Amino acid sequence: MDALAASYPGSAVSQDESLAREFEQRLADCPKLAYRVALGVLHITAEAEDVAQEAMLRADRNFHRLRDRERFRGWPVRATFRLALDRIRAKGRRDRHEHEATRATLNAQPAANVENLIASREVEREVAQALDALPAKLRIVMVLAAIEGYNTREVAKLAGLPEGTVKSRLFLARKKLAESLQCLVKNTPAG
Amino acid sequence: MSCEKYSGWMNDTALGDLRAEREPELLAHAMECAACREAPAHARAVHEFVDRGVESLVAGEPSPQFATQLRRRIGLEAEQIRSPWTAWAPVTACALALAVILAIMVARSPVHNGSNPNVAFAVNPISAPPEAVSASAESPRNVKGMEGKRGGHTRAATTTLEEIIVPKGQLSAAAQLISAINSGRVDGNQFLAAQQEYEKRLEVKPIEIAPREIPALDDVTDKPTGSLQF
Repeated sequence: MDALAASYPGSAVSQDESLAREFEQRLADCPKLAYRVALGVLHITAEAEDVAQEAMLRADRNFHRLRDRERFRGWPVRATFRLALDRIRAKGRRDRHEHEATRATLNAQPAANVENLIASREVEREVAQALDALPAKLRIVMVLAAIEGYNTREVAKLAGLPEGTVKSRLFLARKKLAESLQCLVKNTPAG
Repeated sequence: MSCEKYSGWMNDTALGDLRAEREPELLAHAMECAACREAPAHARAVHEFVDRGVESLVAGEPSPQFATQLRRRIGLEAEQIRSPWTAWAPVTACALALAVILAIMVARSPVHNGSNPNVAFAVNPISAPPEAVSASAESPRNVKGMEGKRGGHTRAATTTLEEIIVPKGQLSAAAQLISAINSGRVDGNQFLAAQQEYEKRLEVKPIEIAPREIPALDDVTDKPTGSLQF
């Protein structure tokens, strides 16, 4: 993905050449980060790519308006998150019947350890649905914290929030997710 | 009841967020309750599951085409930015269509298609039919002077060069008149006034008939009868 940033000079997009160059410099790992944020919300690779590209296009289009260029990295990330939420809203809610059927199947299965659960396709869907059920402000911090293990300070910078707020929201998000998913790891030994 | 109270604390313990003053109370309860002794381990397992589950959701690399597609989309966007007039394309198309329609209407109008013989003669006096020929007058003064003479045969085809239709055989006379007016030998205003005077309608006045005088018999015998006066 780093090759992406390196491949930009041939296709400078901004009218102002210096702005275009600055945009390219700041672009280093943003597309990958944006893709992962979109994936955390949409859970479909093709749509996540589309949304991440759209966010990067918007970032390019409005780069000249950005006052504090040092905060560039969080800008497309937040744009991606909003775009992904819009895409979800446009598509409508997932089929509730499918969700219920999956849950019934999981409850019928014998208890498994965390490794096996994570590897399960149904469990992945369960986690995705539990994540989708979180309020947006909790979801973005949860997704960012899960990406490459960002710490609270990095998440705060990317989300444009105070560090204390990120801590409390992260705590709340984990707690809610644990409440939603604890039935899946019932009687399961840790590890 | 107390287990429910401590289950929340177990969660906090698993998240590393349990207040220090609550820890002894929780430990004391765990010593008494076998279910709660296992609860912290379960809570830790749940939270590990949650963290790893979300991590697996956001793990992954974009496809190899991602960079190419993004570059292509940025390139397309740049093309649109470089040619801002494309936003005016519909307006330009409408304006062009309107211009074409106007041009067709003007081309088909009687002024230009030769359906009016008077105008056609004015454009090309050589090809004029024998019934009428045209003459041009550059000054409005001359036109005014000619209007009375030509009656209803004059028509202005353009605003800069007015044309006068002259009956057959009078073209040379009209040309001489125009040159005389232009050279100043003939005063146009005076000529116009004379023409207006000439064109005034004649007043029909009733004939006054004086009553006939009957002469005396003596006079009748002296004078002839054909010398009666009115």
